[in-house]
Amino acid sequence: MAFIEAEGLTKTFTVRKKREKGRLLREKTRVKALDSLNFTIEKGELVGYIGPNGAGKSTTVKLLSGILTPDGGTARVNGLVPWEQRRQHVKRIGVVFGQRSQLWWDVPILDSFDLLRDIYQVPEADYRRRLSELTEALRLEEFLRTPLRLLSLGQRMRAELCGSLLHGPELLFLDEPTIGLDAVSKLALRDFLKQENARHGTTVLLTTHDMEDIAALCSRVMVLGHGRKLFDGALPDLLQRYDTRRIITLRYDGDAALPDLPAGCACAEEGEGYRIDYSPDQIPTAKLIALLQGAGNIRELTAQPQNIDHLIAAMYREMDL
Amino acid sequence: MDTIRLYIKSMRMLMKSQLQYPASFLMQTLAQLVMEGGEMLAVILIVDRFDRLNQWMPGDLYFFFGLMSVTFYLTEVFGRGVTGAFPGMVRSGQLDTLLLRPRGVLTQTLCSAIDPRRFACIAVGTAALALGSRLSRISWTPLKGLLLAESVLFGMLLILGLFMIEAVFCIYSVKSVELVNAITYGGRSACQYPIDIYARPLRVLFTVAAPFALVMHVPAAYILDKPLYGWPAWTAFVCPLAGAGVFAVMYLVFRRAMRHYRSTGS
Repeated sequence: MAFIEAEGLTKTFTVRKKREKGRLLREKTRVKALDSLNFTIEKGELVGYIGPNGAGKSTTVKLLSGILTPDGGTARVNGLVPWEQRRQHVKRIGVVFGQRSQLWWDVPILDSFDLLRDIYQVPEADYRRRLSELTEALRLEEFLRTPLRLLSLGQRMRAELCGSLLHGPELLFLDEPTIGLDAVSKLALRDFLKQENARHGTTVLLTTHDMEDIAALCSRVMVLGHGRKLFDGALPDLLQRYDTRRIITLRYDGDAALPDLPAGCACAEEGEGYRIDYSPDQIPTAKLIALLQGAGNIRELTAQPQNIDHLIAAMYREMDL
Repeated sequence: MDTIRLYIKSMRMLMKSQLQYPASFLMQTLAQLVMEGGEMLAVILIVDRFDRLNQWMPGDLYFFFGLMSVTFYLTEVFGRGVTGAFPGMVRSGQLDTLLLRPRGVLTQTLCSAIDPRRFACIAVGTAALALGSRLSRISWTPLKGLLLAESVLFGMLLILGLFMIEAVFCIYSVKSVELVNAITYGGRSACQYPIDIYARPLRVLFTVAAPFALVMHVPAAYILDKPLYGWPAWTAFVCPLAGAGVFAVMYLVFRRAMRHYRSTGS
């Protein structure tokens, strides 16, 4: 049996609209947040979970963590049905919401951790060991006696992570953990997650809009749209299908004019140079460069793939999300 | 036992965070003192106009006021999570966080807020109780002391139960329903006077639906050595249990409601 098994998970929300003029009753619409979703995750996997806003990612996390009850379908996490055996289940999981704090705002974070120990009834020895391990890995020692409200966003996220891992969960849900973090904090956070996964075999389900997070951490991606699973596999496989265009930016000596480009190349002026968006399938890169060279002396030229966000956007467009 | 320890620890921590802003805390406590002092003054002025209300002498009326005040504000201090914080917790999504922890939702709700400013109101209430007790020359016995404690305790459960009606509405509709205030705050205002001064519909309301009369007025009549509305003396000790009844019913309703909880956006 897989560690997480979701079968036919369905959740519908009723949205009440504002009453229109001349109508007695408000109109209600039913929105399917999840439409019979199936997947399995093995123990120790690091899975990225992406999809546009409103695709049902958070709903999935809320169902699997026992906050919500589905309208249909079943799920088992480590043999337990989250919404039926909530208390037993949540002892074994940790959840971090990027935009919602779980620690207490006005007290030193060490006091928060202390209270969490009591809430989860973690044995004292385990707690000590875990706390020192986490404070070291997350470099929290110097803030332990600082109230949460005085910490920067990056420090706060580290504290949140520590809080959600104190009871040694086997499964960690991360809902946009890197939102708003600077580059250094982001990298540190990714390193930490990798390390935690390697050392304790913690299974991680990571929801994010930051494709770099996924690329750095996850061996597997699931794409969700309109409550359905659209893709499940390795990130390179997903990107390959959409990675069909390249971009060349170039600048000539003096003011040479661009030669006529073959169809399928989009060209735009950019500063003193040009930016050409083309498809290597239609015109090989070497041929295009040769063509460009014929028109004048090239001072600067860079060729690069589209950035990952563009690929995802192209994918969402194609899947009609 | 462990739950109680957790509650005490939470309260201590919340007190500490309140005292992070001492000036604000002091000002607000002062404001509460003025507010509840004003309420007391209103009662004094009313009582001053009549020298008796039905069978009740001024001292009796202060006693009723004090009993309600102490009970109500003790509930607000220690049950702030239910009496005040809950709607906000639903709206902000903090309720989700509670569901992620291996403890009961109600326990954690109670552990998540304290309102120590209301100690000022409790002080006023205690003064009213003492004043009433002096003026009415109550002859205190251990049994009466016990009954007073019982009345306060079950009164707190009753008030918690009534505030849970609002909590249940919040779970379904996310909005807070001010209408429910009619029986919580309304009940406090009305039932700080003895029940027999009201017309029949209100008497029924506060005996059957929100049984302030059973939980506070019957024991108070016993303590003040007045007839118990024609009931035998032992009923004074049984009636307050109605408060626990209301709480138990609302607890079950609350648990059912939590199954329908739909959370808010991420």
